[in-house]
This record gives sequence, C-alpha cells and structure tokens, in this order.
Amino acid sequence: MMDAWQGWLYVAAVVIPLAAFVVQILGLRLFRKQTALIATGAIASSLILSAIGFGSYFIASGGMPSPHAEGHEGESPEASPAAAGAFSEGRAAPLAWSGNWTWVSLGRGLLPDRQPLAIPIGIRIDALAVLMFLMVTFIATLIHVYSMEYMEGDPRYPRFFAYLSLFCFSMLGLVASSSVFLVFVFWELVGICSYLLIGFWYEDRSNSDAANKAFIVNRIGDVGMLVGLGLLWTQLGTFDIAEINAGLSAVEARQGDALGRITSEDPGAVWNVMIGGTERSIPHWILVLAGLGIFAGCVGKSAQFPLHVWLPDAMAGPTPVSALIHAATMVAAGVYLVGRFFPLFSAEVLLVIAYTGGITLFLAATIALVQVDYKKVLAYSTVSQLGFMMLALGVGGWAAGLFHLLTHAFFKALLFLGAGSVHHAVHTYDLRPLGGLRRKMPVTAATMLIGTLAISGVPLFSGFYSKDAILASAIHFVSERPGHALLLVLPASGAAMTAFYMFRMWFLLFTGSSRGWSAAGLAPEHGQRDDPAALAHESGPRITWPLRILAVPTVMIGWPLTILPLAVAGLPFHPVLEDWLSSAAPLPAQPLGSAQSWAAATSLLVLVVGVGLAFLAYHPSKTIRRIDPARMAAHLGGLYSLFVNSWYFDEVYQALVVRPCLAIGRRAAWVDRVVIDGIIDGLAAITVALSRLDRAIDASVVDRLVSLVAGMIYVLGGVGRRLQTGRLRSYLMVLSIAFVLLSVGVLVWVVR
Amino acid sequence: MSDNLLLSLLWALPLAGSVLVLLVPGRSDLAVKGTALGVSALTFALSLVAFSSYLSGGLAETPLADRAALNTLTVAEGTGAVSLVDEPGDLVFRGPWIPYFRIQYFLGLDGISLSLVLLTGLISLLACLASWGIDRSVKGYFSLFLLLLASMMGVFLALDLFLFFVFFEFMLLPMYFLIGVWGGARKEYAAIKFLLYTLFGSVFILVAILVLYFYAPDGAEPLHTFDALRLMARTEHFTGTIFGFGVQSVVFALLLIGFLIKLPAVPFHTWLPDAHVEAPTPISMILAGILLKVGGYGLIRLAWPLAPVGAFELSWVVAVLGVVGILYGALAAMAQTDFKRLVAYSSVSHMGYVTLGLAAMNLIDPRYYSYGVNGAMYMMIAHGITSAGMFFLVGVVYDRLHTRDLGQLGGLMNAMPVFGGVTMLIFFGSMGLPGLCGFVAEVFVVLSAFNYSYGLAILAAAAVVLTAGYILWALQRVLLGRNDSHRGLPDMSMREVAVAAPLVVLTVWLGLFPQSVLGWVGPSVDRVVAAVASANGAMPEAEEVALSDAAGGSSR
Repeated sequence: MMDAWQGWLYVAAVVIPLAAFVVQILGLRLFRKQTALIATGAIASSLILSAIGFGSYFIASGGMPSPHAEGHEGESPEASPAAAGAFSEGRAAPLAWSGNWTWVSLGRGLLPDRQPLAIPIGIRIDALAVLMFLMVTFIATLIHVYSMEYMEGDPRYPRFFAYLSLFCFSMLGLVASSSVFLVFVFWELVGICSYLLIGFWYEDRSNSDAANKAFIVNRIGDVGMLVGLGLLWTQLGTFDIAEINAGLSAVEARQGDALGRITSEDPGAVWNVMIGGTERSIPHWILVLAGLGIFAGCVGKSAQFPLHVWLPDAMAGPTPVSALIHAATMVAAGVYLVGRFFPLFSAEVLLVIAYTGGITLFLAATIALVQVDYKKVLAYSTVSQLGFMMLALGVGGWAAGLFHLLTHAFFKALLFLGAGSVHHAVHTYDLRPLGGLRRKMPVTAATMLIGTLAISGVPLFSGFYSKDAILASAIHFVSERPGHALLLVLPASGAAMTAFYMFRMWFLLFTGSSRGWSAAGLAPEHGQRDDPAALAHESGPRITWPLRILAVPTVMIGWPLTILPLAVAGLPFHPVLEDWLSSAAPLPAQPLGSAQSWAAATSLLVLVVGVGLAFLAYHPSKTIRRIDPARMAAHLGGLYSLFVNSWYFDEVYQALVVRPCLAIGRRAAWVDRVVIDGIIDGLAAITVALSRLDRAIDASVVDRLVSLVAGMIYVLGGVGRRLQTGRLRSYLMVLSIAFVLLSVGVLVWVVR
Repeated sequence: MSDNLLLSLLWALPLAGSVLVLLVPGRSDLAVKGTALGVSALTFALSLVAFSSYLSGGLAETPLADRAALNTLTVAEGTGAVSLVDEPGDLVFRGPWIPYFRIQYFLGLDGISLSLVLLTGLISLLACLASWGIDRSVKGYFSLFLLLLASMMGVFLALDLFLFFVFFEFMLLPMYFLIGVWGGARKEYAAIKFLLYTLFGSVFILVAILVLYFYAPDGAEPLHTFDALRLMARTEHFTGTIFGFGVQSVVFALLLIGFLIKLPAVPFHTWLPDAHVEAPTPISMILAGILLKVGGYGLIRLAWPLAPVGAFELSWVVAVLGVVGILYGALAAMAQTDFKRLVAYSSVSHMGYVTLGLAAMNLIDPRYYSYGVNGAMYMMIAHGITSAGMFFLVGVVYDRLHTRDLGQLGGLMNAMPVFGGVTMLIFFGSMGLPGLCGFVAEVFVVLSAFNYSYGLAILAAAAVVLTAGYILWALQRVLLGRNDSHRGLPDMSMREVAVAAPLVVLTVWLGLFPQSVLGWVGPSVDRVVAAVASANGAMPEAEEVALSDAAGGSSR
C-alpha cells in the first residue's frame, strides 16, 4: 500500500528502465541502433520523475531546513544526558514516502495467535533517497548520451544499452528499497550488471577474468550480508530498515556514550527493541555480528580493504561503464547502505568501519601515486575516496560521508568520462607516451581540470566542502577519543596524496608535449604509431556536452549559501547540501564545535603540500625547479615496488584463497573418484568374487553332494532292481516272511 | 471427471502409451515420436486439469488427511465384498487392491505432490521433444520413456506405502535400460551402478515400511496398514524401542538412507555423475529434473511426517549432511573438466539445500522452520527447471561439437548468441541470482537455517561464493573468449528453442513471483510443519517472545 502519490512516481522511475531493458533484449535484432534511444529515453524519463519528486519533497518537507538547526540543538551542553531516546523523539520524524506489499507469506496457522511470517517488498523514499535518485538518474542520463558516441561502431552496441537499462533499474531499485532483503536482491542485480559490463568485450580472456573476479569478490561480501540478514530476521523478525532503525535508535545503551553509539562492556547484554509495536530482544554480540555482516556486504560492494581488489580490474569494462557503475553509483551503494542502516551499527562496528575506511583510503592512495595507467589512477582514487566516506560514517559524520558520496559521484563521473574522451582520441591508457593534449582537446582538458580541482579539495569546488566536513568529523572524533589519532592521520595524508596523484595525472596528460612510446622506453600498443597523440582531436559533441554539463555540479553542489568558505575566518558556514542531509539523519548529528576550523586549516595545508609536490615534479615549466620523479621513487625504495604491485594483494589472495579452493575442489573430486567410488566398486568386486566362490562351492561341494545322493539312489535302485524279479513265488515269499516278522514283532510288543 | 479416472489416467495413460508406441505400424520413426509426444502432451494436459481442479476446488485449504478421511473403503469380513465411498472432486481416491494385507489402491494429491506432478508432466514433455535426435531402436526408447513417465507419476500419486514402493521400484527398470542401451561410452557401468545403488537404498525403505506395518499401534492392537496418512496420524502413539533405539529413530534413519541415496546426498552421491554423464540428454533432463526429486519428495512426504520425533532427534545429522553436501558438491563441481559432470555435481550441491531446509528444525517458532521446508520444496521445483535446462543446453553443445570437454569449448557466445543468452539466464538461475528461481529457494533455506544453528547457516551462506565460482567459470569456459573453430555453428533450432523457452519463462517467473507457487504449495507444506512440530510437543504453547507481523504494509 502506498501512502503518497509521490511513491508511485518513484515506482515508475524504477520500473521504466526495466521495461526498457525487456523491450531491448527481446527486440535486439529488431531495433538495432534504436535501442540507444529507448534506453536513453527511459532513463531521461526517470530523471524527470526524480526531479518532480525532488521538487515535491522540497515543498512537502517545508523547504530548506534552517542552517545549524542541528548544531544549536546539540550545543546546549548537557542536552545529551537526556539520552538518545529523547534525541530521536525530540525531532520530528523526517518526511518519507513508503509503500509495502507482501512478496511471500508463509507459516499461516503455525502459531495460533500470530500472523504468518511474510517477506514484504516495498519502497521508502526519504531525503537521502530523493537526492540519490536525482544524482543517479542525472549522471546516468548523461552517460547514456556519452555512450552513444563512445560505443559507436561496436558490434554489440544494442546489447550495451540493454545492459545499461538493466543496471539503471537495479541501481534505482536499490536506492528505493524499504527493506534490507530487497536491498540484497538489487545488490546482486547491480552485481550481475557490473559482471556483464566489465566482461562486455569478453573475447579477451583478461576481461572476463576481471568480470568473474568482480562478481566473486562481491559475493564474498554478500556472504556477510546474508549472515546479517539471517541474524536480524531471526532476532527481530523483520527486514524493514526504517522499523529496525527506529527500534535501535531508541535503545537505552546509547545514553552512556558521548557519541550516541550503542556501547556495552558485556557482550551478553540484551537490548530490548520495539519493532512495529512489539518488543523483541537482541543480545549485544549478535547485534555486533549482524552489523559486521551487513558491513561486510558494503565492504565488497564499495571495494573497501580487504575486498578492494576487484575494482581496479573492473576497469576492463568500457569507460562509460566505469564512470557510471564503478565510480558514481554502484560502488557507492555500500556507503549508501551503511548510511541508510546507520543505527544498526554499534560502537565496535563503527570503529571497524572507520578503520576499514582509513586503511582503504590510505592504501589506495599510495597505489594511485605510482600508476602509469590513467584509468587505474582514477580507479584507485575511487577506492580511496570511498574509504573517505566510510571513515566519515565510522566516526559519526553521517552527513559528511553521504555529502562526499554525492559530490564524489559528480566529479568522479566527470573525470572518468574525461579519461574516456582521451582514450577515444589516443587509444591507450598509458600515461607515459602522452602529454600536451591540452591544445588538442581543450574541452576535455578544462573539464578534467575542474574535476581535478574538485577531487583535490580546492576551495570553491565541491570536493573541498565535503572533504572538509569529513576531516571535521574525524577531528571531532579524535578529540573525544585521542587513542584513535590514526583516524585523523590517515585521511589527512590521504588527502595530500589525492591532490598529488590527481595533479600528476593532469600534468602528464595535458601539459608539455607528447612524449611518444619510444621516448618512454616502451613498445607501442597494438601497432600504433610512435606518438599516440599525433592524430588526437577533441571528441564529438555527444561526448563533450556531458562533460560540460557535469562540470557545473562538480563546482557548485558543495556551495554553502554564502559561497565563501568562511570557516577559515572562524565564522560558521555549512554547505546547503550537507545541511539538507543532516536534517534527514537517522541519528542526531554531533555538534562539531571548533573541529570545523581545524578541519579547514588542515585541508588547506594538505592541499598545498599535495599540489605543490605534483607541481614541482610534473609541471613541464622550466622556470620552476623540478623534482625528478625517478629520484622520488628511488627515495621510496622498497615501498615503491610495494605500491606498484598494489601491496601484493592479488598474489596473496591467489596463494591463500584461490589456489587452496581449487585444490580442495580437486581433492573432493579425487575423493569421489578414488575413495567413494573405490569403496563402491570394491564392494561390487567383492560381491562378484563372493558369487564366483559361491559358484565354485556349488560346483565342487553342493553339486558333488547332489551327485553323491543321486549316485547312492542309483546304486540303491540297482540293488532294488534285483529284487524286482517278476516271479510271483518270490514275492509271496517276501510277503510271508514280512508278515511273520511283523506278527512276531506285534506279539513281542503286546506281551511285554 | 471422477477422481479415480483422473488420478488413474495420470499414470495409466503413459503406461498405455508405452504399449501403443510398440504397436505403431511400419518403420516410421516420426510416427513413433509423434505418438510419444502426443501421449506426453496429453499427460501434461491431464496434470493441468488436476491443477485447475485443485485450485478451483479450493483444495489447498483442506488438509489432505481430512479429504482422505471422507473417502472410505471397507471390506466385509466374511464375504470380501468391497464397499467404497468416493467423495467427488477432492483429488483423492481409495480403492481395494490386496485386501488380505489391507493394501489399497490409494491415490491423492496435495500441494506437495501436485507441484511435482506438474513438474513431471512438463519436464517429460520437454524431454520428449528433446529426444527427437534419438535414432537407435526408436520404438524401444519411447516405449521405455513413457513407462518411466508412468512410474514417476505413480510415485507422486500413491498414498499407500506399498503402492508407493511398487512405483518407486518400477522406476528403476526403464531408467536402467535407457541409460544402459542409449547411453555413452561407459553406459553399462553407469547403468548397473545406478540400478544397484538405488536398489540398495530401496531395501532400507522396504524395511521401514514393514516396521511401520507391524509396529504401528492402534490402541493395543497393531494397526496393520500401509495407509500413509493413517500412519502419520498415529505417530504420537508410535513409541517403543527396537534394539534399544527408539522406533521412530529407526524408521526415520531407514527412510532417510533410502531417500538420501535417491536425492542424492553426500556420501551416497557417486552414482549421479556417472549416470548423468552416460545418459542421453533427455534422460539426463528427467534424471535431474524429476528423479532426484523423488528422493526429496520421499523425505518431505514420508520420512518427516511418519517419524517426526525421530526426525527431530536426528535433525542435526541431516543438517550436517546437507551443509556438507552443499559445500562438497560445489567444490567438486569446480574441479570438473567435463561440462556435464560439472552440472551433475551442481545438482549434488543444490540437493544439499533440500536436506538442510528440511533439517533446520527449530520448532520454537515453527514459522521459521516453515521457511526452511518451503525453501526445500521450492528448491526441488526450481532445480527441476534449471537443471533440466542445464542438461539440455549441455546436450545442445554436444550435438554440435561432440565434446563436453570444457577445455575445448569457448567462444560460443559469438557463434550462437541465442544459445548464449539462454545459457546465461538458466545458469544464473541455478547460481541463485535474485529475480530468478534458484534465489528464492536458496535464501529461504539459508535464512531459516539461522534459526537452527549459526555455524551451519554461515557455512551454507558461504557456499554462494563457491556456487558463483563454478558457474561463472563454466560460463567463461563455454561461452566467452574467442574460438574461431566454432565460427559458423548453427544457433539453436526452432525445436530447441521450443524446449528451452518454457524453462526460461519459468526460471524468471518463479523468481519474481514465488507466491504464485507457494500460495498453493505452502499450505500443504505448512501442515507438514505443523504436524512435525506438534508431534514434538512444540506447537500448542506459543512462546512468549512477541513477533511483529511482518505481514507487509497493510498496517503501515
């Protein structure tokens, strides 16, 4: 049942791409190139619906929340002892449209006074979902347009768009889902779309390997998710995210913690949770386990350490796919789910989330420093940025993490599309022979510069504000828990590295002049001429216009109302989007206090370090004294090869997981063939041998006995035959003798 | 149509067909095939008639036992005169067969058996269509084929244990010849292995049936009946010991071994890969699609309801066997280089879910157990569809390339795009991709297992990685890559598409709308769950933890 017409709007926005997919896949041969138009039309209609939904939500929820509403509320010093319960009750429930229908209902009449146990499917559209819809449909529409040119001439062009439509359906469904079960369903569906699109050019073995790897690594995370689902369902009897959130937000244990998290010294402590009007209970350790399980799913999907290995390989797919799925939308789904299901995570799990994010962002940034493939730089940078988001959520910066999710989606999509534009022109992903493309591809160069400025965190660009918010959350957390200083060091150094590797990439691609394959000491790829950039030219309008359009939100969506980052001067400022998000937070935000000023200072400092180093090392200008990158690498020593080899994760997994698994599989097959079948065949052989023995005994013993008996009878018969003389006289004699003997016998017997 | 006619025709029609096929005059193979196809189609149509009368009669709402109680059979002591009452339109028929031993001709359908009857009808029809390429002793093949169909129908229809056993045994005979005569290189070995293995299991079942016959009490007297439903109703009186073991445990263990061999469950599974690899394609379809389900059906219809207390005592053994089967089958599948053998091992893995779902007996809140048993039931249906499809697709490749070596395949996606698309979909269905049928079954079983044992549930959940591993790897080796030697292979013919299309549609349909099946299968399964739970004393008192009604948004 749907409670508002806007809900149907969103159902339509989800279902239209699915309908488009069905039409395309059934009519692959019929429509040929028209599939692109069908797919684009479908996602564009979803965009329009999402925009209407956004407007409607904006009006229905009373417009912009007043800035700092959260901050003031929390700042009244000891408002927090009034406890977490009061926290959430004090706030008006954020507006959400929802509708649920029964998908499966079983167990009727098994408990006399209870309803059957049902698994519902449904949607729930809250502020976060409204924003996500707008972001996903907007970027997806642009990428559809972009792909029309980028994929032109591909023999499987129609199928590409069919897959894109399926992906859009799955992604939008994931965002809209009201229950974590349904999230899991779409989770797997986006996974399979990702599989199909990574392996789109499946003729190359390495591409289909990458696709398999992506899906299987994701499934490892999904095991955790299944565990989380099972535990929650068993303990709480529902999958509904909003119900569980509401129940867990009010748990008493939040009172004892300064950061409003569920903490307990005793793992066996049992929390009473109100779920949909009835009280259920869940032991603390199961809550932790369930949280870790759900988070494991997010680790897989959002390519976090230690399951990050699939995302760099996923770059084997066409670049629009990398931009849409593996940068802007799907990989952010893990972060989205953590945000959506935030109250589930207890203090221990949040700490795990924070450290996972921190380690991921640091690892990936170090690897990105040394990549020579510009798409891989972007891939590792995506992993790293997702780490930032996770870290933010882990330290309690709910709005900051999701804010970064949105800003990142725009600038990373822009960067990937720019990279695709470059590849479209030069047909290589190798940075080393390229250079000086700024003059040949001015639009691409300019838009990518905007993206680079945004991701590096230059003030006035969106990335600055979101990264600043993350650092503020981290600083606040560390000031509360000084033991976890690493959670500040990691993102700060990661931010510096981000600025460095992004500017390195931009300088190497666009400034100076083309270096050529031979100067870089390499053999040209696929029989290219020596200078891959020789014939490069700006891409067509269907590629450049999406870049131009994406550049606008890349700059603007982070802006506060006053535009200027006044926090530097100690004045409060808040980006509009972040305010909007935090008004919808499932748990009330923490007052950050002075952390904001420190954060602004820190982010400016690391920015200067990162960009400065990149400038000195890679800017072609002769006037600036240059640092030789090779010497920098030499200084790093063993670390350098560690980074180049991505910390040897693939090799370690190959040795510790993949090969043992295959070996066990072979062993199992061997057991079947040799041991079990050996026993079976052995039993059969023994049976046969026994029956042979039986036959032998039959022949030698039983048969002989039978023959013996027969022989004896024969002999006796022979004897008897002699009696058969045929003469009456001898018969009579025998008879009379017999009679006499009998009479004597009877007489003796009677007399005795 | 009276119950007797309808139910009897379901097995008698293919039986008559198998004779009819032999009588087809002349040497025209086409006439033989046409006749067989016609008979299979008619049988399927009959199962649809039964289905529609099941739905229109609202029979899902009435327990099978209640319906059966209205159909009575009495044999006068002295004269032997038979009087029977047949309640019309309830899909139960009780007639006399061997009155001296109180053996009845007792047939009936409920959601559990009806779903499998429908599956049998459909898969047999498709397998018959897939048999078009048979060119050796055509008459014999189709005659045996229909004989097999008749006995499979009989197994699912019979409610008298003796009758059940007769059909159960009779199934082996045509299967033995179908593998042994029309099979591949090692057909004799595979056929005899299959036959002896299953016969070995049958012995246990027979002993269990006889124990029930002689021990099941009716007050102070033994009941002396083969009527499965009456025996089920008496389980609470069925106590006592044999050799120091509880009678129920003994009966359960005997039935379990017998049906686990049929299912098959590790470690009784090695007949399966051999039988599958050597059997001709359509017979593999039937073997995987239906014959394995006989094992699961036996467990859910007989083993659990006939010995619920024993089942509960031994449930942990069964659950462990199930999880071992899931993991072992998946791992072994990963190591195969023969396409068909890989698919065969995937069956072993999937049947592990059936075992686990049945064994996840947490009776504190039987609604969760209901998800396990329903998941097991759904797995049988879903696996019946996907595995039949998978074997058919293996056959499609084999017909063209005459090899099943995964090392020599590859690049078929480009050569045969329709085949590629269908293969991807069916294999994804088997992998448990949401939106396709395998997912529903898998996820129900795993979720329900969390109510039984966290450890086992986590292991079962971990198997989804292995499943994805062997399925994706197989797809990669068969479909993807480039292989110029396969260029120009003909794509699937119209006949092949006709076989695959219903399977594809069902794979998607069952994945999206499970309630459309569970709506009429579920009540029957739930009654089994209720009976098992109450026999173990778990039902009447509802425990105190309040549950939310997750009954959907009606309240929200």
